[in-house]
Amino acid sequence: MRRLRLIAVSLCFISFFAFDALARSISFGIPLPLTGTNAKFGEIEKKSYEIAENEINAKGGIKGMKVVLEFEDSQGKPEISRSIVERLIDVKKQPVIFGEYSSSSSKAIAAVAEERKVPYLVVTGATDDITQQNYKYVFRMNPTNAFYATGFMSFLDKIVKPKSIAILYESSDFGTSGAEDMVKQAQKAGMKVLVREQYEKGAVDFKPILSKVKAANPDVIYMVSYVMDAALLMRQIKELRIESKLYAGGAAGFAIPEFIDNAKDASEYVVTATLWSPQVSYPGAKEFAKKYKKLYQDYPSYHGAEAYSALYIIKNVLERARSWKSADIRAAFKATDMMTAFGPIKFVDKLGYTNQNFMDTLVMQVIKGNHETIWPAKYASAKYIYPIPKWKDRK
Amino acid sequence: MAQLELFLQTLISGFLLGGLYALIALGMALIMGVMRIINLAHGDIMMMAMYIAFWLFTLFGIDPYVSVFIAAPALFLFGMGVQKYLLTPVMKVESILPHNQVILTVGLAMVLSNLATVLFTGNYRSTPVNYASNAWYLTDIWKGSPIELSLSMPWTLSFVIAIVITIALWLFLSKTDIGKSIRATSQDPDAALILGVNVNRMRMLTFGIGCALVACAGCLFIPIYYLYPSLGKQFTNVGFVITVIGGMGSTNGAVIGGLILGIFESMTATYIGMGWAPVGRFAIFVAALVFLPGGVASIIRRRKLGK
Repeated sequence: MRRLRLIAVSLCFISFFAFDALARSISFGIPLPLTGTNAKFGEIEKKSYEIAENEINAKGGIKGMKVVLEFEDSQGKPEISRSIVERLIDVKKQPVIFGEYSSSSSKAIAAVAEERKVPYLVVTGATDDITQQNYKYVFRMNPTNAFYATGFMSFLDKIVKPKSIAILYESSDFGTSGAEDMVKQAQKAGMKVLVREQYEKGAVDFKPILSKVKAANPDVIYMVSYVMDAALLMRQIKELRIESKLYAGGAAGFAIPEFIDNAKDASEYVVTATLWSPQVSYPGAKEFAKKYKKLYQDYPSYHGAEAYSALYIIKNVLERARSWKSADIRAAFKATDMMTAFGPIKFVDKLGYTNQNFMDTLVMQVIKGNHETIWPAKYASAKYIYPIPKWKDRK
Repeated sequence: MAQLELFLQTLISGFLLGGLYALIALGMALIMGVMRIINLAHGDIMMMAMYIAFWLFTLFGIDPYVSVFIAAPALFLFGMGVQKYLLTPVMKVESILPHNQVILTVGLAMVLSNLATVLFTGNYRSTPVNYASNAWYLTDIWKGSPIELSLSMPWTLSFVIAIVITIALWLFLSKTDIGKSIRATSQDPDAALILGVNVNRMRMLTFGIGCALVACAGCLFIPIYYLYPSLGKQFTNVGFVITVIGGMGSTNGAVIGGLILGIFESMTATYIGMGWAPVGRFAIFVAALVFLPGGVASIIRRRKLGK
């Protein structure tokens, strides 16, 4: 018994010294959906965190400490995310929490973080109410759902100045909610909604509703579709020579390269709202996109850019914090005003949101067969083309 | 004027769509007429043909319209094989359920679409041909035209080829010996057997031709549409509805039924709303069953008897 105690004591010492020797590193547990239906996005984020981890460590880590990331699989289930974070806070005493993909998991974590008074950085969850609950310790870097189209609306307001709009959308949750948002925004901006039509996903022939759109002659045609329908719609718009001032897509199907591959020349000049794009001129964005593509043969989605930038925000905050006590880290979060590959980050309280980052969302336009960021002008990779040529005059 | 333009453009769309629908239904009606079964794997066989056209285009750059000559014979053989090794043996088995063969086609549909998912993944595919959005315009031909109508090149091309195939089938069925034997089998299999028609061979041929027809439809569809493994169901539905409107098993009825459905769907989309198109399709299906149980074919027949 006595020997046992001796061993235990010496073990304690050893571990104490061992800990001391490793004090030059800091580890973060990151909850992410690595299995289950959201695994694809979890995977993109994991890869992006790892790129940031390597970059930061190559430049001396955080306050001279090596960053070690440990990914914890939440399977996309809020209750698992919650228990992961409880362990990180209670057992590992992690000073700050960040990560997760879905809104529901982020919401579960936010509740725990607020209760334990540990700062939590929401990276991708976009549901509005996460930062509407007056949580003091929850910060969100990504724009909320309600602000996805702000960039697009400002482009309309400043450049196109449309008086009327036609909205076509897929008859799914995604399509219906996107269309409803746009109806509200359009009315607020003083546009008349001339046509508002839904279609069943998988439709072959859009010409009947497009003929109707043509007869109504709107200034803007706004479509909420997945990629194949997006391509068919633009092809048939070209076919019918519907001359609108602007053809616009609500992200999703319009924002990915497959849209251009399938719609070919009919995709030219089409604009779409997006959160981030690989060629936006934020410092480090292109470099990150290239590095990611080199490693994984594909460009990252905006989720990747969010995750990549999140680690830089954490580094920035921890380096500025007076101590790593919750209150000091929180104060450092509040004072954040930095630029990342995902865009400018500043946590403010306004419009009923607390600690929310408000940023301009981007607008992309297809120019010469490539997506280019055109709005806001200060982040543009190319000058927007407006007014767009009529179908008849295109070669 | 705008209203007239809208109406005419809708009519054109409906007509073109209807012609393609008719080709899908034609094979199904033929099979139904001869074998007395509904082939519920029809759309999935079309999906197979579309994958053939897709890969030929992607790997060798072969135009989807040329693939008709490759996909149709390939699926003709496939169809004959299905009839010989799957459907004929099942026909002989005594069972409580009367329609074992129909159930077999359902199974076949599932196998095909799942196989396509495993082999080619669930991704959406398409053959982005250069002429995909080319069209002819009324104002280009007639400068002073008060209204503007357009005629899509690939749609028109597909429509014309569909018409040619339909006429070829009609000639085959009415002028050749084999065609006549097929019709004899369709009208009365027992009598045909007594009169020396090899009924089993005719059934094999019919299933083969039915598959080849829908293979043509697949190749004509892919330049204007896209492709994914579970696309079959949608077109099986279309084929089934048209077969019922046309009068079960009547090929003439199927052509007219196809045009009716195409125009009806386009009109629904323009004047009621595109979200209603599937509802409209179902409504016309039920209406046909209730008010015109023999389909369009029964009207044609009545006319003939009346003469």
